Amino acid sequence: MRISTNMIFQRGTTGMLDMQAQVSQTQIQMSSGKKIVTPSDNPPAAAQSLQLQQSIDLHNTYQTNIGYAQASLSTEESILSNSNDLLQRIRQLAVQANNSVMTTSDLKSIAQEVQQDLNGLMALANSQDGSGNYIFAGNRTTITPFSQSGTTFNYAGDQAQRTLQIGENRQVAVNDSGYDVFQKIKNGNGTFVTNYNSANTGTGVIGASQVTDPTAWVPDTYTISFLTPTSYEVRDSSSALVTSGTYSSDTPISFNGAQVTLSGAPAAGDSFTVAPSSNQDLFTTIQKLVTALNGGVDAPATRAKYNSDVGQFLASIDQGMNHLDDIRAGIGARLNSVDNQKATNTDLITASQTALSSLQDLDYTAAASNLSKQMLILQAAQQSFVKIQNLSLFNYVQ
Amino acid sequence: MADILGIGYSGLMAAQRALSTTSHNISNANTDGYSRQSVELTTNPPELYGSSYLGNGVKVESVKRIYDNFLVNQVRVNTSSFNSADTFQQLASSIDNLLGNSNTSLNTAFDNFFNAAHQVSNTPTSQAARQSLLGQADSLVSNFQYVNDAVNQGYARVNTSITDTVSQINSLAKNVADLNKKIVLATGAAGGGSPNDLLDQRDAQLAQLASLVSVTTVKQSNGAVNVFIGNGQSLVVGSQSQSLDVVANIYDPTRNEIGYSTSAGVSVNISNQISGGSLSGLLNYRSQVLDQTKNALGRLAMGMASSMNTQHKLGMDLNGDLGGDLFSVAAPVVSASSSNTGSGSVSGALVNANDLTASDYKLVYNGANNYSLTRLSDGQTFSIDTGGASPYTSTAIDGISLTINAGAAVGDSFLVRPTRAGVDDLSTLISDPSKIAAAVPVTVAASLSNLGSATAGAISVNNPNDQVAIKFTSATTYDVLDQTTGTTLAQNVAYTSGSNISFNGWTTTISNGGTPPASGDVFYVDQGVTSADSANTGGGVINQATMSPPDSGLTGTVTITFTSPTTYTVTGATTGSPTVNVPYTDGGVISYNGWSFNISGTPATGDSFSVTPNVNGVGDNGNMLQLAALQNKLTLASGTASYQDAYGQIVAEVGTNTQEAKTSSDALNSLLQQSKDARDAVSGVNLDEEAANMLKFQQAYQAAAKVIAASNTIFQSLLSAING
Repeated sequence: MRISTNMIFQRGTTGMLDMQAQVSQTQIQMSSGKKIVTPSDNPPAAAQSLQLQQSIDLHNTYQTNIGYAQASLSTEESILSNSNDLLQRIRQLAVQANNSVMTTSDLKSIAQEVQQDLNGLMALANSQDGSGNYIFAGNRTTITPFSQSGTTFNYAGDQAQRTLQIGENRQVAVNDSGYDVFQKIKNGNGTFVTNYNSANTGTGVIGASQVTDPTAWVPDTYTISFLTPTSYEVRDSSSALVTSGTYSSDTPISFNGAQVTLSGAPAAGDSFTVAPSSNQDLFTTIQKLVTALNGGVDAPATRAKYNSDVGQFLASIDQGMNHLDDIRAGIGARLNSVDNQKATNTDLITASQTALSSLQDLDYTAAASNLSKQMLILQAAQQSFVKIQNLSLFNYVQ
Repeated sequence: MADILGIGYSGLMAAQRALSTTSHNISNANTDGYSRQSVELTTNPPELYGSSYLGNGVKVESVKRIYDNFLVNQVRVNTSSFNSADTFQQLASSIDNLLGNSNTSLNTAFDNFFNAAHQVSNTPTSQAARQSLLGQADSLVSNFQYVNDAVNQGYARVNTSITDTVSQINSLAKNVADLNKKIVLATGAAGGGSPNDLLDQRDAQLAQLASLVSVTTVKQSNGAVNVFIGNGQSLVVGSQSQSLDVVANIYDPTRNEIGYSTSAGVSVNISNQISGGSLSGLLNYRSQVLDQTKNALGRLAMGMASSMNTQHKLGMDLNGDLGGDLFSVAAPVVSASSSNTGSGSVSGALVNANDLTASDYKLVYNGANNYSLTRLSDGQTFSIDTGGASPYTSTAIDGISLTINAGAAVGDSFLVRPTRAGVDDLSTLISDPSKIAAAVPVTVAASLSNLGSATAGAISVNNPNDQVAIKFTSATTYDVLDQTTGTTLAQNVAYTSGSNISFNGWTTTISNGGTPPASGDVFYVDQGVTSADSANTGGGVINQATMSPPDSGLTGTVTITFTSPTTYTVTGATTGSPTVNVPYTDGGVISYNGWSFNISGTPATGDSFSVTPNVNGVGDNGNMLQLAALQNKLTLASGTASYQDAYGQIVAEVGTNTQEAKTSSDALNSLLQQSKDARDAVSGVNLDEEAANMLKFQQAYQAAAKVIAASNTIFQSLLSAING
């Protein structure tokens, strides 16, 4: 083939320019550390790496959310743990106070201690987090949830539970409302509550109670009345006779699946009631103990009432403590699931990062060897170009 | 007698001409488009001497241009193809580079925005978290606009380039016409001899022309060349050239097109007949990269803005008000053709962003109240019949509805670009952090005196975009079922033809179309778009729904009271039925007034739950969780793509276009080099060859001079013989 002089120049320069472009591309790759510099280098991989990057960012966000969830749940857990300690203490005081050697003045000083603990419990229920948000106010985080007026306790929060997104399809609740924690507690033994009639004149005390047959239990208010000190009858709210019998101290009275134990010597005309449990907040439960402790035990009848009230309190406080344990168990379970989710997220992030790296990260060994190869070719092209340029017949024309 | 001196002289002259041609070749070795020349020598007519002919020396027959028309044509064709691909590739690379830059990437902006949304859901009362969300919303909009601005600059650049290119084409065409004239004259003056250098000059001009636009040439017998572009529009005829001009697109005056003046003096748009050359590269770049990218980005922006707005409006802000729009949503752009003769006008409205496509549409009036709407991406046609109503609003087509004001003349056309202004008109509308609606506007509470164990789950607001089925249980009653969540919204509602049916924040009407709906007929409302089941047997017709989320009764107080452990009664509800002695299922979803929640456990008679406005519920993050969850929801392209999927598709599409252009530009470049090499192999100057020729002709010259010297010697010999 005939070659024109221009072609020799052009082929030489085109070759060198092409090689320079390749060297420059490799250099850009090496300086950025990426093999995909623009999407057109590999469009499907570019789109896929966007997805992977999104997934990594999103899961990192979930990890941040998990941090919040853990902080929030741990704070709640530690407050409830403190509350539990207070309740234990109050219960011990009640047990200690439920002793026949205690005098009215002994009880009054115990009452003061219980009152202090009640105030402490209120303070815990009105705890705020680091940003000043009330922890047990549901979603009304700027409003003090619990307040007291007289012997009534009011809850200003709502019943909502806040959840955080901690995984692709996973949300976790990070709080419990004051309603759920402190208010929604059934008094008595959880099914029914016993009451001493304050008009009683005998020394009968209503004590331990339990449900022996939940299926036989008919929710209603029952009255146990003593016609004589030794015989009693149980009537329901419509005065229908449920059962009757001969009274003997510490012998359980059973009816409709319920069992109550009376002790002491009731007088004729004395009565006790058994009513379905209703929600009673922990503060009211404790307040009732304070009232009972302050009620005095000088007369035998008032001591009987006092003993009945403390008995009822012990049943209620056990319900409350069980309830708090349940809530704390729930928090523990959520903390566990948060931990699991955290591990899952970490695995996903690692997997995505590995995939992303294999898609877009440069293999430096290959790139470096590529660069030396390209530079070698470029040098050869330059050297051969110069040599060929020197070949001209005109050099020999004298 | 043969004249030795004359013969020697002829040889001397021939060698001289040959030497001057060689030096012309050497001098023009680097001249663009130059074809090497060679001297054609021939013998002089011989002289009859007796019975033989005696040679009579040499003469220059012609100076020939070494040239292959086919090869030159190949170069021209390949120049056009290469330049088209190369221009496209260079321009597309700028968008490609932009999309590849992680700092300006929308992907990162989306990630940051949703991360900020999660932070608000983590700490709903934190002003800092809310401020950061607003900041990220602004950067999201900025990143949208960053890409969009590059596209807009691309349009401006294409416009300028079209104007420049057209004026270059015109001046080249004029040059060719002038050269044609010179060539015809020169050929005549030389009695048919070819004016080689003029021909080369004309070829060079044609090559330049071919780099701008693909041309076809037809050679005339007088030496002139006629040049045609497009579908045979003449650019040069003999010594006359016809100029192109720049005309505005009939639908969009800001869009330059290539105009060609017809004999009637009217300039017609020949843009879509242009092929090859940088001009076609420009036009392809505009339609394949700029239009596509702008529409697709616009669709993403409108989809994102409208789905986020809908969700945000279902929430409650820190002030206790319902949420407003977070972003402004662009409206479809409808432009009338400048050649319309009627007075009709058309406007568009967005109905449902999920069904939007990135295509443009053309609406043409066919007469008799009938319009046809053609989706330009695939040619799919929709017929719209106004029935004579004006203004008439069409049902939703691909997510938009068109409102047509009568008055169009037959053949009048409109260009509908649903997503064109998507990013141009995108902005954030909220600047006050407390106006971020993170909370659910209602809260549910169990009464403290409840004796049963039933508890209420979290309450949520029904999404107006849910698919809802209205099922007729008889000709006069229907049930309403939210099919997205599987919740029953109402049962046994009495049907009155034409009266409002309102759930989840939309309102529609069903009317008797001749006959009432039949039992078993089903109508759907899906993202504001209404439809009737194809198996319906009655005559009921469902009308377009209007969206005004949320349900107007959403924040009303509703109380659910258990009349027995298995039934409850609802008071205060304005939407939903039945309300009296509703059967209770453990864990079943209860939905009235546009909200839903479930009650589980065993209720006791008299237990009650109340739904009330979420007063002081500043710690609620329910709506923000839903908003953050939109990141992975498939809210675009008929429920097939999330925001970032759609963005990935844009990146991949531009990347693929650029990559294809790179590949084809590389391939066409080597084709062009090959054809140039092939031409140069024939016509190019080789200096070694010319050096050899120079030596050859130098020697021929010296030899001819010797012949003259010899003739002199002979003559001298003769003279001396005579003089003795």
